[in-house]
Amino acid sequence: MSKFVDRPRYTCSLGGALATLRAIPRAVPIIHASAGCGHNLHNAINSGAGYIGGGYCGGLSLPSSNVAERDIVFGGEDRLREQIQSTLEIMDGDVFFVLTGCMVEMIGDDLEAVTSDFSDCGKTLIAVHTPSFRGNSYTGYELVMEALIQKYITKQDVKDPKAVNILGIVPAQDVFWEGNLRELKRLLQKLGLTVNTFFGEGETLKDIGNAGKAALNIVVSDIHGVQAAEAFEEFHAIPFITTGFPIGTAATEVFLRAVSEALGIDDSLTGVVIKEEKAIYYDYLERLADLYNDIDMQRYAVVVGDSSYVPAITRFLSDELGWLPELAVITDFLDDKQKNILSRRFENFESGLKPSVRFDTDASSVRKYIAEIWPRNRNDRYYDSFSPTVVLGSVFERDLAVEFGFPLLTVSYPVTNRVVLDRAYAGVKGALSIVEDLFSILVAGR
Amino acid sequence: MDYLNAKSAPAREDRLKTNIAYGGTCEQLRGCVEKGCFGESGCLNLAGRRFSQTQGCQFTLSLAILNTLRNAVIVMHSPIGCGACSTGNIGVNKTFKQLRDPRAEGVIWLSTNLDEADVINGGERKLRETVLYADLEFRPETIIVANGCVPALIGDDIDNILADLQTQTAAVIVPIHCEGFKSKVMATAYDAVYHGILKKYVKKPERREYVTEPDLEMLKKQYRISRNVNVLNVSSMSRADELELQRLLTAIGLNVTFIPCYAEPEDFQYSLETSLNVSICGTHDDYFVGHLKEKYDIPFLIDTIPIGRKNTDRWILKIAGYFGLEKEARQLIAYENELLDRSLEPFRSRLSGKRAFLAGGEVRIIATAEILQDLGITVAGFKAHHFDEFITPIFESLEDIDDVPIHVATNQPFEQTNLLKRLKPDVIITHTGGNNIAAKHGLPILPLFGPAYNYLGYSGVFEVARRLNRIMSNPQFNKKLAENKPLPFREDWYGKDPFTYIKKQDVV
Repeated sequence: MSKFVDRPRYTCSLGGALATLRAIPRAVPIIHASAGCGHNLHNAINSGAGYIGGGYCGGLSLPSSNVAERDIVFGGEDRLREQIQSTLEIMDGDVFFVLTGCMVEMIGDDLEAVTSDFSDCGKTLIAVHTPSFRGNSYTGYELVMEALIQKYITKQDVKDPKAVNILGIVPAQDVFWEGNLRELKRLLQKLGLTVNTFFGEGETLKDIGNAGKAALNIVVSDIHGVQAAEAFEEFHAIPFITTGFPIGTAATEVFLRAVSEALGIDDSLTGVVIKEEKAIYYDYLERLADLYNDIDMQRYAVVVGDSSYVPAITRFLSDELGWLPELAVITDFLDDKQKNILSRRFENFESGLKPSVRFDTDASSVRKYIAEIWPRNRNDRYYDSFSPTVVLGSVFERDLAVEFGFPLLTVSYPVTNRVVLDRAYAGVKGALSIVEDLFSILVAGR
Repeated sequence: MDYLNAKSAPAREDRLKTNIAYGGTCEQLRGCVEKGCFGESGCLNLAGRRFSQTQGCQFTLSLAILNTLRNAVIVMHSPIGCGACSTGNIGVNKTFKQLRDPRAEGVIWLSTNLDEADVINGGERKLRETVLYADLEFRPETIIVANGCVPALIGDDIDNILADLQTQTAAVIVPIHCEGFKSKVMATAYDAVYHGILKKYVKKPERREYVTEPDLEMLKKQYRISRNVNVLNVSSMSRADELELQRLLTAIGLNVTFIPCYAEPEDFQYSLETSLNVSICGTHDDYFVGHLKEKYDIPFLIDTIPIGRKNTDRWILKIAGYFGLEKEARQLIAYENELLDRSLEPFRSRLSGKRAFLAGGEVRIIATAEILQDLGITVAGFKAHHFDEFITPIFESLEDIDDVPIHVATNQPFEQTNLLKRLKPDVIITHTGGNNIAAKHGLPILPLFGPAYNYLGYSGVFEVARRLNRIMSNPQFNKKLAENKPLPFREDWYGKDPFTYIKKQDVV
C-alpha cells in the first residue's frame, strides 16, 4: 500500500515514458490524455533533468488528444483515432508511440483496437499503457522498453556472442544518462564488444531493432531495467546479469569482470583493460595528492538519491576517495525484497565504514535522519560535530545544505541548479568528473 | 457575479465563451466578435482541432499562482505525476518570495500519490494522512489542497473530507478544484484559484473595535481607505514591475497593495480595506474582482494592461478618474512620456522597419505590440492563447493592424511554425515553452514576459526596447541551431493552410 510523497523525485509512468522516448531519435509520442499531462511533465523533466529540453518533438510539440469532459463521458476512442490519423499527416517520425494518461485508462478506452486500425499506415505504431496511477517514472521506462522488446525488436535466433545491450539507465531520471551510456559503452568496447545502449550518442532506431542479436543484457541497476531484461529473456532468449551502477575504478573492475565472466571473455584481456583504466584514473588523481593532503580534503558525506546512484556513490566516496559517507538515503518506491538487495550493496566496504542506510521517499525526512545518526550537541564544551560535511543529492537537499552549512553537489533528479549536457558520472571517466566537481566546490572560494 | 455557492468555478468556455481555435486577420476577428461568432450559438463557440499538441491545464496553471503564496504548503490530491512541474519553480520561487520577505520558505508540496488501489477504493485515506502530515511537519498558515482529474472522476468528496479535517489542523485548509479535464481553456485556472481564495483567504480583518468610535479615529480610517488601491499582480510579473506600478500610483497620491501573488494570508484580509481593485489583466482577474464587488461592494477596474506608453497612460488615467486625481495624473504622464520618448530614440533608429511576431496571452501580446509600434517595428502576426472579451480595449492602442494575421491557439507549435514560415518575421516575441520548436526558425526570440525582468509601466517600455535591441544584435545561437537541427513536421504540412486542422464545435 503506497503512501503520500513529500516532493517526489520522479514523475509518473507517462513522464518516464516521455523521457525515454525523448531519448530515442525520431520517435514521436502521441499522448492520449488530458490537455495538461504532456505540458506538466515536460516542465518537470526539462528542469529536473538539468535542462534536457523538448528536443526534436517533445515539450509543447508533443501530439496529444487533449481529451476533455465530453470525451470522458462518451469515451475518447474517436478522438484518439482522429489524433493518430492527423499526427501521421503532420509529424515527421519513424516510430509512433501511443501513450495513455489516467482518465482514458479509467474509462477503459480500447487502445489496442484503435491502434490496430492503423496497421496499414506504413509507419510503426506502438501502444503503451502509462497511467500516472501505476508506478512512477521508472515504471514508464520499463513499459516503453517492454513495448520495444515485444513489438519492435526483431527476433533473431542466431546471437552475436560479442554483442551486448545496456539496460537500467533511465533517461532524465538519471540526469547524466547520455554521458553515462557513452562511458559504459567505451569501457565495454575495450573488451571487444559491440554495445547497444538504445539511447545516446550515435544510436539509431536500427540499432534498437537489432538488439535481439545480443548475447547478453547488462542491467546496471539492481532495480531498474530488471523488468525489461526479463522481457528480453522471455521474448528474445537473451540472458541478463545485474551489476549495480559502476562509479570509480573498483566498481568498474567488478563490472567488467562480471561481464567478462558472463560472456566467457579471456580474463587476461579484462585485466589489461582494467590496468589501463586505473593508470589513466590515477594519473589524473595524483594531481590532487598535494591539495588533498595539504589542506585536509577529507569530508563526511550525506548521499541522497535513487537506488542506482546512492550505493555507487557511497562506496566510491568511502573506498576510493577516503571520505566518510555516514548517511545514505534511497528515495525510490521499493518493496522489502528490493530493499534487502540494496542493503547488501553497503556491506563490506574496504574502508570498514558502515553507513546508515535509509529508504524514504520524503524530502523532509533527510534532516531528521541526520539528527538520528549523529549525537546532538547538548551544550558540551567539547563536541565532536558532524563537520565538515558535503551533501550529494538533489536540489531538494539545498535547504538542508544551507541550514547546516554543508556544500551541495546535485547528482540525482531533480537537478535544476546545473545544466547537464554530456557529463558522465559512471565508470572511470565519470569518477574523475565527480572528483572534479566535488573538489571544485571546496576550492571555489580560493 | 456569484458562483461561490458552487463547489468550483465554471469553465471559461461556458462562462465567457472563450475561444481557443481561430485563424484570420485582426479585422476578420473584430467582424466575428460583432457578428457574435464566439457567442452561445455562434459558429466559433467551442471550436477545437483535429490535430492537437499538449497545451497545459488548469492544474498546472493554478500552481503558477499557488506556488507564490507565502506560508502555505500545497497538497496535490492526484497520482504522482500531476503538478510535477513545480520542480521547475523551487529555486526561483524561493528567491522571488524572499524579495518580499527575506525569511520566506521555498515551495513545499506533497502528492497524495493515488495508485490503482485508490482509484478503486477512493483517495480519502491518503488525503487525510497527507493533510495531517503537512500540518504537523511544516506548521504552515494554510494548506492548499489542489485536486487533479482522478479524484474528480472517482468521486472523492473532497470538500467534506477537508471540512472534517479542518477541526484537526492548526492550518486553514483551502480547497482548489482545478482538475484539468474540466476545461480546455487553461485560464480557467485563475478562476479556480480565486474561487478558493475568495472562500478561505478573504475575510474582514480583526481590528480593535471601539465601543463608541471617536470621530477622529473614524476619519483617519476613512481617509486611509479612501487612498488605498489593490493592484492584482500576476505570477508572470516581476518585483521590478510592481515597484514601477507602485511608483506611478504613489506619485498621484495613492497607496498600493499587491495581491494575490507572493502575498501572505493576512494580506488578503487587509486588502478589503480599499477603495478600488485594479486589474492589470482581465484574463486573470475578472472572477475575483467581480466577486469582491458582489460580496464587499468594492469597485473594480478592468481595462488595459500597463504595457506600452499609451496603455500605461490610459491605465493611470482610468485609476486617477476614480479618485478625482486626473490633473495629477496628466502631469505625471506628460513628464514620464517626455523623458521616455527621448530615451527610446537610439533604439528607434536601430529597430525601426523590423517585423515581429508575438505569441502568448491575449492581453499581453496586443499590449506588447504597442511598444513595438512605438519603436517603429511592424507587427507581422499575433498568436493568442485564447480569445475573449478582454482583448478589445487593448486593440485601441494599435494602428494599422486590420490586415495583421491573428491566430488563436493555446500553444500548438505546429500551426505557429506553418504561420512563421509564411510571415518570415525578423524576431519572435513569445511565451515561455515550445521554444525547442520556435528556436529552429533561426530567429532571435525575446521572452514575452519574465518574472525577473521589467516589462510594465514606462520603465518597462525602455527595458523591452533595450533587451530587444540586445537580442536582435546577435541571433547566432538560434541561427546555428536551425542550420543543424530539423523541425519535426513533414514538408507537405507547410504547403497546407495553417488553420487546416481547426474544427468547429468541439468538446466542452
